Order: sequence, then structure tokens, then C-alpha cells
Amino acid sequence: MNPNPNYLPPRLAARFLRWYCRSELLDEVAGDLYELFQRRVEVKGLRRAQLLYWFNVLMFLHPDYIRKRNQQYFRNSIAMFKQNLLLTIRSFQRYRSTFLINLLGLSTGLACAILIFLWVSDELSVDKFHINNDRLYQLLEENQNTEGRWIGPFTAGLLAETLKEEFPEIDYSVPARLVPEGNTLSLGDKSLKAEALFAGPDFFQAFSFGLTSGDPSQVLTDKKNIVISEALAKSLFTNPAQAVGKTVAYNQNQEFQVAGVFEDTPANSSLQFDFVLPFAVYQEMNANTLDWNFNTTQAFVVLREDASLAAFNQKISGFLQTRREESNTILWVRPFSDAYLYGNYEEGELSGGRIAYVRLFSIIAVFILIIACINFTNLTTARATRRLKEIGIKKAIGVRRSSLVFQYLGESVLVAIISLLVAVLLVGLFLPQFNSITGKELSMMVEIPMMLTLLGITIGTGLVAGAYPAIYLSGFSPLKILKGGGSLGKFSMPLSDLLARKGLVVFQFVVSVILIVAVLVVYQQIAYVQNKNLGYTKENVLYFDLEGKAAENLETFLNEIEQLPYVDNASSIGQTIVGSGLNTFGIDQWEGKPEGVEFPPFEMRPVALGMIELLNIRMLEGRTFSPDYGSEEDKIIFNQAAIAIMGLDDPLGQKVFIRGTALEIIGVTEDFHFASLHEEINPLFFVLRPTWTHKVMVKVKAGQEQSAIDELTKFYQAYNPGFPFDFRFLDEEYQAMYVAEQRVSTLSAYFAGIAILISCLGLFGLSAFTAERRLKEISIRKIMGASSAGIVALLSTEFTHLVLISVGIAVPISFLMARNWLDNFAYSIELKWWYFALAAAVTFIIAWLSVGLQTIKAALINPVESLKNE
Amino acid sequence: MNQRNHLGEFEEIVLLTVGILYDDAYGLAITDEIEQRTGRSVTISSVHKTLMRLEQKGFLHSHMGGASEERGGRKKRLFTITNSGKEVLREARQMRNALWQAVPRVVWGSGFGSLND
Repeated sequence: MNPNPNYLPPRLAARFLRWYCRSELLDEVAGDLYELFQRRVEVKGLRRAQLLYWFNVLMFLHPDYIRKRNQQYFRNSIAMFKQNLLLTIRSFQRYRSTFLINLLGLSTGLACAILIFLWVSDELSVDKFHINNDRLYQLLEENQNTEGRWIGPFTAGLLAETLKEEFPEIDYSVPARLVPEGNTLSLGDKSLKAEALFAGPDFFQAFSFGLTSGDPSQVLTDKKNIVISEALAKSLFTNPAQAVGKTVAYNQNQEFQVAGVFEDTPANSSLQFDFVLPFAVYQEMNANTLDWNFNTTQAFVVLREDASLAAFNQKISGFLQTRREESNTILWVRPFSDAYLYGNYEEGELSGGRIAYVRLFSIIAVFILIIACINFTNLTTARATRRLKEIGIKKAIGVRRSSLVFQYLGESVLVAIISLLVAVLLVGLFLPQFNSITGKELSMMVEIPMMLTLLGITIGTGLVAGAYPAIYLSGFSPLKILKGGGSLGKFSMPLSDLLARKGLVVFQFVVSVILIVAVLVVYQQIAYVQNKNLGYTKENVLYFDLEGKAAENLETFLNEIEQLPYVDNASSIGQTIVGSGLNTFGIDQWEGKPEGVEFPPFEMRPVALGMIELLNIRMLEGRTFSPDYGSEEDKIIFNQAAIAIMGLDDPLGQKVFIRGTALEIIGVTEDFHFASLHEEINPLFFVLRPTWTHKVMVKVKAGQEQSAIDELTKFYQAYNPGFPFDFRFLDEEYQAMYVAEQRVSTLSAYFAGIAILISCLGLFGLSAFTAERRLKEISIRKIMGASSAGIVALLSTEFTHLVLISVGIAVPISFLMARNWLDNFAYSIELKWWYFALAAAVTFIIAWLSVGLQTIKAALINPVESLKNE
Repeated sequence: MNQRNHLGEFEEIVLLTVGILYDDAYGLAITDEIEQRTGRSVTISSVHKTLMRLEQKGFLHSHMGGASEERGGRKKRLFTITNSGKEVLREARQMRNALWQAVPRVVWGSGFGSLND
């Protein structure tokens, strides 16, 4: 019976049989089954034969027939593991400097990565803790004018509640206004300042700020209610549990009953406040919240679970046109938790925001890790010659390549894990410092996911760092190694390996140079911002809230302050001079205003007499407000930018109209930077309205600040009892606008330092190795009369070339990156050539220092020492 | 007769079949022979296992035969009965004969008698 080659047993079954069956039994079993199969095909047909073949294969699944592999293998691998571990530890002990360089490099890199990882995961968690997070949205207004697109989070006070009535998709709708300053809460004679939030009744249902007492749906429904934080309850009442039902005074003129206590706002919330008052209270205090034309309030909505975001945005986009006259403003919502990372409204545009820094630092973390991995790779491959005999003998007695790969990978993972332990120690040591730089409250959380991530990063680092050496070392031919005697120098490196190693060094130094340039540029820009002539004097000016009795008798109050010792002058203003976008007006009419052109909003600064002089703002033409001209309520002073935008040639004496009121221009100030230097100077005007002012500014004598503060405190407490004297310095507030840049500056300086440190460690190790390998060459050269200086030059040339190439690559990249970053500022430094030259010089010096030590040591050897054995 | 030398019924059949096939006794042939001679249906795997057991007990000896196209290029394992295998078969037969003889004739006879009831 000849088998028909067209009919073959099912392949899968045959493979399965081959896989499990003991090899000494395989032939007879497979042969019998094959024969049987062929016979069955004839008799019963292919289908049945195949089925029966399967059946037979499965019937042979019996302990006697199954290959014994596991037990034997397991015993062997434990022995191998012990052996490998021993070899690893011995090689660590023998080459201590390599091991320490690897350990130091990897642990610093890992510590950096862990810190950045902690920071990034904290940034990403901000505002995501609300239970309704996936359907909690913020309303945004968007309009188009001659200046471009404008997007802002502020909207009309009536919007939130109106939307809820008109659109069934909305579950909760919350109008909210944060008022961080100017709030005093009092209980009896105890008074303190706190940050206020005015919010609609749905607030505690829409947001997850947990109430420890009170009903979330009820606490804000009554206009007489107040909800306070636990911390506030603790400081106001001796026993916070008794707070509910008690009455507290707000700014000494209104009383509210505590209806609930909420847990202190978590650090990862972008909304920070100490107490919540019903939004209706804010509406009573500010009539313009009832006007659709004023943007005073932020609005948040929680959409129903089945609602579609796109459809809802479509529905509400034209809503404002139905309430306002002649409005082209579009309304839309976006996820509330996006606002923190992506919500940069500073220039009226959504321009990324913190996510840029999150990305930046993640990239830096990855690069620092890569640099650390490169060190490991370079040093291990460079020192491969030292372990050639071990590899040669192992291969000669039949060790498989895969087990060599496994051994070297295991070695690098072990180094990585030891590094992790060191890194965790380092992180624990530097976390407080890191927190103070970043303004965070990070901690090493002992949580399973966190630990797993760290372990993952570590093992990943170990594998990446060990992959190249493992493949490279295990690939040697044993014959070549053993025949060559495995001695240093006789084994020549293939060209590709040298290239790869040099490429890695170049990469390290490219990253280092870029980081140095980054530090220089950021530092210069920060210095420029701090020292720029802003057009007003911010030094020695302190300011505080205008409230209580002081607000009622402003003129007397200011006069009495000016009488105090150490005080130069005092005045008051709507809000502080710093900042923008908080109080704007459109100018309705002036002579020669073109028709049909939309103008951007003008910043308004209501002031009392003497404010412009106090801030040293220079007048371009005209005069400031003065008591000599009787009532000045119908006068106005513009800045230069405003005059330019209105196109007035001879502004003095002309009349402009704001909401029906005619105002006469009496002066024009020079432009001054009231907002952050990220922005161009916007149009602004001053009006004399002491009753609209909220902040008192006092200029004190330079060098006498403390005495002035003491005097002011004494005076204020006597004059305005029940209000704490809580002041700030203007230049401090100015600096607060650049907190993000300050942090980037400090952090990038640290990271650049670490990147350079790690790179130099690598260079140090490599140069030590090269010097050692060329010891005999150097000795012979010395005998032939080479000078020590010549030998230093010989050994340094190679590394100098590498660093030179790195600088060549890094300069254009860093130039583009710096240009890009500086474009964020309307006013920025020029990029000067010496930033790059300095970065290059620093890199060279550091590289030479780390190479030099080794080369000098090599150059100074006594040639007899190394040649006497030949 | 000790435990080690005990032959099960199926073992005895397999052992005898190896004898029948003489110089071509391998797994599949043995299976076929048993099926034809006894009319029983046996699976090849149970025959294989029995052959292995018999070899372990020392009643069978095996060597690898040639490969053939018919078997997909696989070799056969050919079995022959060892001396102790012959011994144990003989013992089994003797024991059975002795048992047969020990049965009184009347046992067989009464069978006929009862037919007339």
C-alpha cells in the first residue's frame, strides 16, 4: 500500500505530537499513526481519518510518553543563576570604578526620572478627582475682533442659571466667582482673612468637595448661609464640630449662618478657597452680574450622561446673541479638568499652558535616563576585553548564546535594581528641596501602581542599558578569543562598534550642550524681566485691601497715613496695577472713531488722587488728576497705547463716551508694563473714582520698610478694628507672575547639571579605559622621547573631536528651541552668540577636566613599569 | 509466582501476538493482528503502553527497524520475546492448565443436565 502524499495527517496534531512526545518514542508512535492514517484515508475518507488521527494523538498523552523537560531545566537554571550572580558580584568587586560609575550614573538618572515622574503624575491628576469629571464642563466665550480671536472663561452672571432652565441636557449648572482677597470673617473679636468663592446652589453636587456636615443640595440655597472649610472652622471655633448653626460676620457688615463644613480643598484642585457663599450674595453686592453685557463670572455645567458634547456646543453656540445686543460672541464648553493643563488664556488665546512644561520635563527625564543608559552601554562594551576569556571558555564548553545574553542582561538589571534603591534614597533626600522649587506637596507614595511603575522603569532601564553589551559580548567567536590569548589590545574592535560608541558619546554631549544653553537663555530672560524698566516704580510699595471704616472715610484715612513716619505717600486704586483682563470697558465714542470696526476692550484703573505720582508713571503730555481743578470725575487719562489705537492726533481736551458718560482727556501717560511681559501693552485709562477703589497703596521710605510696617500696623489696628492688617509688596506680586519661568529656570539648571555630571562620568570611565589599553603604546612613545604634554594631547584628541561634533550638532538645535521659547514673550532678550559659545566652552572644559585627569596619570607613568614584563 | 511476573490478560494476548508476528512485530501490526484474531477493537495507544510495560518487565526486547515511505519516513520499533517472556508465557499456560484440570468434570456435565429441566 503506497501512501498518497496528497493526504497528510493534520499538521497541527502532528506538530503537537512532535512537541510533547519523548524523542526516543517519537519515531515509532509517529510512524504507526502515519501508517494508520494512510490506511484510514482509503477506507473511511480524509475527514474521518484526520479526526481519528487527532484522537490517537490525544490518546498518547500519557506520562510515559511526555517529554521530561521541566524539572531538569529548572534545577539547571538555578545553578546557572547562582553561578551568574557570583560572576557578576566578582566582576563588580574586581572593577570597582566601573561599577561605581555605572551605579552613580544610573541612580542619579533614575532619581531624576522618579522626581519628574512624581511631578508629572501630580500635574496630570489636577482637577480629575471630581466624581463628575467626565461630564463637568466650563463655559467659554469666544469672539473675533480686529485684534484677533479672543477666548475667555468669564461670562455674564446670569448665564449659568438661564442655561439650566433652557437646556434639558444640563444636570447641574454653577455660576462661580473666586474672590481671593478682601474677605474678612469674624466671630466675636476674632477676625481673619480668607479666600472666598461665591457659587450657585448646585456647587457641591457638581464638584466633589466633600462636606463633613451639611446637605450638598441644600447648603447654598439660602442667602443667609455660609459653608466653611475644616481649617477655617478650626481657627474660628475651638471645636469645629460645633460650627454648624453659628453665625459669622463677613467684612463686619453682613452676617451668615454656617450651614456646612467641607474638607479642605485638596492640593490637586485648581480651585482653592476657604469658604463658600451663595452666588446670590455676590449678585446683591455687584449689580453688573445681573447685566448680560458684563463678564463677571465663571460658569460650570454638568451635562447629563446621555448628552453629546458636540450637539450641546452646537445648541448653545449662538445663545448669547439672544440676550445681548449686537453680539458676535460664541459660547462653548470644554472639559473642566482640561483648563489646568491646557488653559492658557493670557493672550486671549488658548495657548497650551502647563502641558508644555509637563511635556518638556517628561522629555528631559527620558533624555537623562538615556544618557545614563548610554554610560552603562559604553563602559560595559569598552571593558568587554577584560571578560573575553570568561566568554571564550564558556562558549567553548557549550554554553548557548541565549544564556550568555541572559547573563549580561541579568547583570545590568541587577545594577539597575541596586541603582533604584540608591535612587529612592536620593529622592527621599531631595524631595523637600524639589517641593520647594516646584511649589508642590509631593510625597513618595507607597502605592502598588506607583511601585510597579518604578520597578518597570528600572527593569526597562536595565534591559535597554544591557541589550547592546549582551548581544555584543555574546557574539564573539570563541576561537578568535582563545587563540588571541584574550589579552588587552590584541583583540581589535570592529569599526561599527567604535562608531556606535562614539555616536553615543556625541549624543550625550549634544543633550548636555542643549541643556546648558537652555539654562543660560532662561536665566537671562528671567533677569531681563526682573530688571526691565516697567515704566512705573514697584519697589517699596506695599498695598492692602480697602475695607471697613477706612473705605467710608477714604480721604481722611489716606491723609492720616501720609502723616505717619517713614511713609512717603498713599493713595488707592481699583485693583493692583499688576495684571490684566479683570476690569475692562469698551470706549463707545470719540471724535473720528471709524464705523464698523471692533476695538479691543480697554483696561480701566479707577484711582484716588496721587496714585499716578505714587507709582512714578511718567506723563507724556497733559497733567494728572489734581485737587486744583475742582471736580475731576468727568476727566480721563489714557496711556500711549490707547491713544495710538484710537488714532487721536491731538488728544488733550477731546471728549470720549463710556456708557453714555462724557469724559474729557486731560493727560496721556507713557506706556508702562502693567501686565506680564508675555503680553504687549494693552490700551488703558485712569479715571478719578475714589469710591470704586479697593486697594490702598503706600509708598514707604527705602531702607525703612520694617519701621514703616510697624507704624502702619499700629495705626491700622487702631483705625480699623476687626480687620487684620494684611499687606503685600508690589514687587513680590510682580515676581509672582513669573513663577512658572522661575521654576523652569531653577529646574533646568539642576537637570543640566545632572546631565553633564552623568555624561562626564561616562567620559571619565571611557578615557580611563583608553589610557589603560594604550599603556604600552604610551610607554614605548615615552622611551622614544615623546613629552608628557604630547601624550596628553594624543589621548585628548579623540575626545576633543567627539565634543566638537556634539557642539556642532547642538548649537543649531538649541538655537531653534531657544527662539521658540522666547517667542512666548512679547518682550524678550536677543539671542546672543556668546550664550552658545559659553555653553560650548563649559562643555569643553568639563570634558577636558574629566579626560585630563586620566591622561595626565597615563602620561606620567614610568615606562619601565609597564614594559618590564615583555 | 511473584507479583513482578504476573501477566494480565491483555498483556498475555499482546505477548503472544508478538510471538505470532515473529520478525515483523511492531505497534500497528500487533494492533491489527489482535483485532483480526480476537475480533476486539483495541486502540493503538493501549497496545503501545502495554508493549512498553512488557519491555520494562523484561519479557520483550526491542530494536529499531528501517524507515519506510509508507510510514512517512519514520522507523519502526520491532519486538521479540525474550527468554523470560517465553518463561512467563509457559508459566501462565501451565497455571491455566493446572486450573482447568482441577475443575471437577461434573461441573461441565451438570451443564448438560440442566438443559433438560
